[in-house]
Amino acid sequence: MTEDLGGPLPAGPRVGSVPHPAGPATTYRPPARRSTLRRRLRRKLLRLMQSWRSSLTVRVVSTTVLGGLLALGIVGGVLSAQIREGLYEERVDQMLQDAALQRQEAQEMFDSSTATTSQDVQGVANDWLESLSLSGTDADYAYLRSSPSSDSPVDFQDLVNVGGYDLPSLVSEDLSTAVEEEGGQHWQPISLPTPDGEVPGIVVGAPVTLPAAGDAQELYLFYSLQTEEETLGLVLQVLAVGALAIAVLLGAMTWGITRWVLQPVTDAVLAAERLADGELDERMDVRGRDELALLGQSFNEMAASLQRQIERMEELSRLQQRFVSDVSHELRTPLTTIRMAGELIHESRESFDPAVRRSAELLHAQLDRFESMLADLLEISRFDAGAAILEVEERDVRDLVGHVVDLTAILADAKGSPLRVDAPDEACTAAVDSRRIERVLRNLLSNAIEHGEGQPIEITVAASNSAVAVRVRDHGVGMDADAASHVFDRFWRADPARARTTGGTGLGLAISLEDARLHGGSLEAWSRPGEGASFLLTLPRRAGADIGVRPLRLEPDDDPQDRPEQNPSVIVSSDGPSLTRTSEENG
Amino acid sequence: MSVKLLVIDDDTALAEMIGIVMEAEGYSVAYCADGAQAPEVFRAEQPDLVLLDLMLPGLDGIEICKIIRAESDVPVVMLTAKSDTLDVVAGLEAGADDYISKPFKPKELAARVKARLRRQESPEPERLRIGDLEIDVAGHEVTRDGHAIALTPLEFDLIVALARKPWQVFSREVLLEQVWGYRHAADTRLVNVHVQRLRAKVEKDPEHPEVVVTVRGVGYRAGAPHE
Repeated sequence: MTEDLGGPLPAGPRVGSVPHPAGPATTYRPPARRSTLRRRLRRKLLRLMQSWRSSLTVRVVSTTVLGGLLALGIVGGVLSAQIREGLYEERVDQMLQDAALQRQEAQEMFDSSTATTSQDVQGVANDWLESLSLSGTDADYAYLRSSPSSDSPVDFQDLVNVGGYDLPSLVSEDLSTAVEEEGGQHWQPISLPTPDGEVPGIVVGAPVTLPAAGDAQELYLFYSLQTEEETLGLVLQVLAVGALAIAVLLGAMTWGITRWVLQPVTDAVLAAERLADGELDERMDVRGRDELALLGQSFNEMAASLQRQIERMEELSRLQQRFVSDVSHELRTPLTTIRMAGELIHESRESFDPAVRRSAELLHAQLDRFESMLADLLEISRFDAGAAILEVEERDVRDLVGHVVDLTAILADAKGSPLRVDAPDEACTAAVDSRRIERVLRNLLSNAIEHGEGQPIEITVAASNSAVAVRVRDHGVGMDADAASHVFDRFWRADPARARTTGGTGLGLAISLEDARLHGGSLEAWSRPGEGASFLLTLPRRAGADIGVRPLRLEPDDDPQDRPEQNPSVIVSSDGPSLTRTSEENG
Repeated sequence: MSVKLLVIDDDTALAEMIGIVMEAEGYSVAYCADGAQAPEVFRAEQPDLVLLDLMLPGLDGIEICKIIRAESDVPVVMLTAKSDTLDVVAGLEAGADDYISKPFKPKELAARVKARLRRQESPEPERLRIGDLEIDVAGHEVTRDGHAIALTPLEFDLIVALARKPWQVFSREVLLEQVWGYRHAADTRLVNVHVQRLRAKVEKDPEHPEVVVTVRGVGYRAGAPHE
């Protein structure tokens, strides 16, 4: 019956044989479903990729789920292959046995027949086909035909037991050649048409001999594998659902575990951020004794150490500021006594001899200087301690400028520098601490007068919607880059060798800068050797608000930008020095 | 009889120097170097003005100021090394009339003292009305419905300055000049604190003042006289 199954097949590889148990399975896998699944997976993967970098949770969950799916896929593949093999091998064996039996019965029936004419032979064949459905075979269809190459004396018409389907076309040339030339039983997987559409099946072919027609006929029986296909489909479905459930469970578990593990890390991040914001008392909750607790513990130790360090530094800085402040204050009581004594001596200097008289004058002048230095030192220490308080009121900056110009006019006269004020007609009001702003203006003006070389000094006042500005421009000796970059430094002097007539303390511009900053404003300096200097004070109309549109430029309008310049312009602002090399800009 | 000053300061060198300067101005000067003894010395000496250092051993300057104010209207001028601290405001609130921050010039000190000792010389009796109060300038008396209200000389000067020109709004700077005798702008906290103290004494409801009215952004003016 299956004597030829293991034999070598001369035909092409498409002719089925027993060693190809997996063969039929390939034909009834639903290809469409697979591709949509893949597309969905790809889309999911893409979405995962987007959050891949940003979230460790996504990374862990997706890796686990993908790994799990891969493992499940492999297991599922092997499992379904095993099931398929078992299911189909057995069934195909049954079908082949059935086909052999049917052929044998047919051959016996044909052999016992005495028909000689074509009509009789046809009748016998028909009878057999009709009896086939009663004989309890599994075959769905049967097809009996002469071999294409036969030269039988009897004229035999090909027969099928069911109409409506093109059964002959299902028999491939390879199969029919094998049946005709080798004899014996051969089979091949096919797609079988049924009323429900095409189903997987096999066709089994074997030669038969009709009476009086020679051994040149072939019998093909068609078997359906629909039941097995359905069973396999069901199994695969169950497997897939199971795999999916496991994957979802795996993902959820991983997510949960990752969250659980990452929670302390997230807490650490938040705590570190709060720590960075200056909340030095921020600590993490430490529970248990595992690695995560260790993380929290280490974090807390770090925070505590940082806090200790910072507090130590703060304490040091506080002590230092306190020291400066205390020294300044302690000095004031003896200074008061000295001052009063000096004043008395100074007033009666006319009665002294010349040397003592001059000494009394020097004492008096230096006491003045000492006192203003102490006052400036106290002012700076107040800024450093953050104890400077802004007492703002709505003032017209033009009035403040006018007041300071009146105060410094005597000094300007003495140096021969005319003061020219250019102010708009409309009010330039801003909420300022007039004491501080007058101090800044006094500083800028006396500096300009001191370094102005008797040239005119221009004071420009302007306002925008959001800010007011005062620029003080002198045409004196100016400063080089190195000098200008230190102009706001404490105790810095433009030219140590130069005689000082106004007796500044060296803290004036440093205090002015702090005053401007306290208002949320800025103080900038521009200078060039030989061309003088320009200082620009810009203040927001509301203290602490944004400056917005600047009413004035720092560089004077007569700045010779077009002319190639040997010396670079120097602009120093509260943000630090920046050099502008005009020669390079133009070249 | 010469005007007597009491200098309460633990720094004897400074106290002595102040003494030299003030005696040159024609005042007689008494000293006290220990805070704890200050109230006793004050009662014994009966000074016309007290120069009080804020930082003292024994008893704090502010406490002494409160004690003095509780028993007398004598002017108190504080001597302070820390003009920027809350001590100044605390001292003013404790009843000090004025303060002078170290280091000061002898002339400055003399001017402060003179301003505090200044008496309104009013040859003609002058009567002023402010809100529902009546002021007898010559008699140095403020009355409401016939009942006298006790004011310190400084508070009296302040209310008289306002009442004399009821149509005028006084800026804090102007008041500093007229009442305290400052030539140029000084600490406007002086005005704020003393206006609060004055209100506490003369207003029916200090939260809604009717005698000394605040003009926002400018200063103060007298409340309209009640008929």
